[in-house]
Amino acid sequence: MQKLLRFFTSMRLAIALIALLAAGSALATAIPQGLGEADYLARYGRLLGAVLVQAGMDRYFGSLLFIGPAFLFFANLAACSASRFARELRKKSRRRHGADILHFGLMLLVVGSVLSFSGRREGSVRLAPGESAELPDGRILRLERFEYLSYEDGRPRDWISSVSVLKDGEAQIEGYALRVNHPLKLGKLSLYQASHSAEAALLVRDAAGKESLLARGQELESGGSRLFLMTPDDGAGKAVFRLEGPEGSGAPRVLRAAPGESAGPFALLAIRSLERSGIQAVADPGYALVVAALLVICAGTFLAFIQKLGDTKP
Amino acid sequence: MNALPTIAFALILASAALQALFLLRPSRREDRASSRLLLAAAASLLAWSVGRSLEIGFPALTGTFESLAFYALALCLVCFAYRVQRALPFLPPVQFGATIVAASLLAIASSPIAPKQALPPIPALRSGWLALHVAFSFVGEAFFALSFAAALGCLAAKDESRRLAYDRLTYGAIAVGYPIFTAGALVFGAIWAQRAWGTWWSWDPKETWALVTWLVYTFYLHLRFVRRRGDRLAAIVAVVGFLCTVFTFFGVNYLLPGLHSY
Repeated sequence: MQKLLRFFTSMRLAIALIALLAAGSALATAIPQGLGEADYLARYGRLLGAVLVQAGMDRYFGSLLFIGPAFLFFANLAACSASRFARELRKKSRRRHGADILHFGLMLLVVGSVLSFSGRREGSVRLAPGESAELPDGRILRLERFEYLSYEDGRPRDWISSVSVLKDGEAQIEGYALRVNHPLKLGKLSLYQASHSAEAALLVRDAAGKESLLARGQELESGGSRLFLMTPDDGAGKAVFRLEGPEGSGAPRVLRAAPGESAGPFALLAIRSLERSGIQAVADPGYALVVAALLVICAGTFLAFIQKLGDTKP
Repeated sequence: MNALPTIAFALILASAALQALFLLRPSRREDRASSRLLLAAAASLLAWSVGRSLEIGFPALTGTFESLAFYALALCLVCFAYRVQRALPFLPPVQFGATIVAASLLAIASSPIAPKQALPPIPALRSGWLALHVAFSFVGEAFFALSFAAALGCLAAKDESRRLAYDRLTYGAIAVGYPIFTAGALVFGAIWAQRAWGTWWSWDPKETWALVTWLVYTFYLHLRFVRRRGDRLAAIVAVVGFLCTVFTFFGVNYLLPGLHSY
């Protein structure tokens, strides 16, 4: 038992593990990660390719090669920190707890990271203004407006999704400006402005004179007729759609028509660009722990530094 | 305003030349002018950086040229601070080495690999956390550059007392740079990634190499507990650590594709 404790509280073990983790991580960046086995065989030859895959270098940061030393380092860090902390407590003066706090922060970070990587859930939706999506907790996310701002040279300046969150039909959040670097926190869920896309859509006026912008795969009903848009532009400037007349008026027909033409009660007005906002939802169970760990690490490193400044010898 | 980095470069070169003169022909007169030239270079770079920030409406840290200018500015200030401080022995070859690194940074900045247009940042880069991430990382790395020069001195030193003085300086610079680099490269970088993309860490090559750099300096700090003062291995690790920062900044961009734009 004493031997085991000595092994885990050894500074030399810590140094060896730090070196191993550094060397392994550096090596892993030289090997493309996450490819298929065939890619490694083609790239490195049959023998070396097979060795890399079998050793786990194709997914180094999720392999035993990394997790093993990282786990051992965690145990070493915990043992060293406990031993060091006890030693410092026994001192009558000039206690140095900066390193203890830093080590504690690192342990907290490891726990938070494991929670974060293993329990993280994410999903994304692409919404056009006016569209909604159901969030995992049953609430409804509605995109009210989407703005794509660009600089004069055409580079993107900002993507702003104005979103509302509804629960049981009641708005809980209204018109929140969701932007890159400005996520929306909803309890355990965070929403991020992730992407933006534009697609061709067909502007259609129905029998009642109401105009709607239809994207591929969307349907519009008017006066008993139904128009299902297959594509807003077939490449020759014509929309392709399926038209279903009122009951008893015959089988549905697939038609092609250009803006300016009519199909049943629908007038095809124009092909427009429909902007969609890509919104990502992330649930991260390790969030609070990682935030706390980062704060503790910062506090620990600076405290260790300030305490060291007071020492006469480095 | 565009002439300011060139003026800074000329001032750094003048400082390096003056330092070389004093190194080659030791005299009783003290060289005070070279560190003042470095301070003037830092002021010139600071003025340019402030002007560029006003022009793009964001701290000028979002492009290769801007970050190199900031890095050189931080290094000039670190050299000046090292000259005026009294806690550590002043070793002219160390200041000279760090000055050469600062000149090299601006030389690289003036090359075609660093585009010089004033471009306002894209949405992902418009974050206060990014500004903190870059600024703290480079201030930390400026101390590492000083430690690199000191570690080279330690490796080259013939007599024990001189080696110990270089070793003390190497350690002092790393001890100051390490917490700043930790906060900037790892902590603020992770917070920025979380705010922008909802993930703390992506194992992108640049991130991984920042971690490798941090591990190398962590290795150095722990190595000193088990090796004697003035140890050559510790000096070699300090040199490797700085080479890691160089590879993280330049090498990764050209050899390992990833998420970072610079």
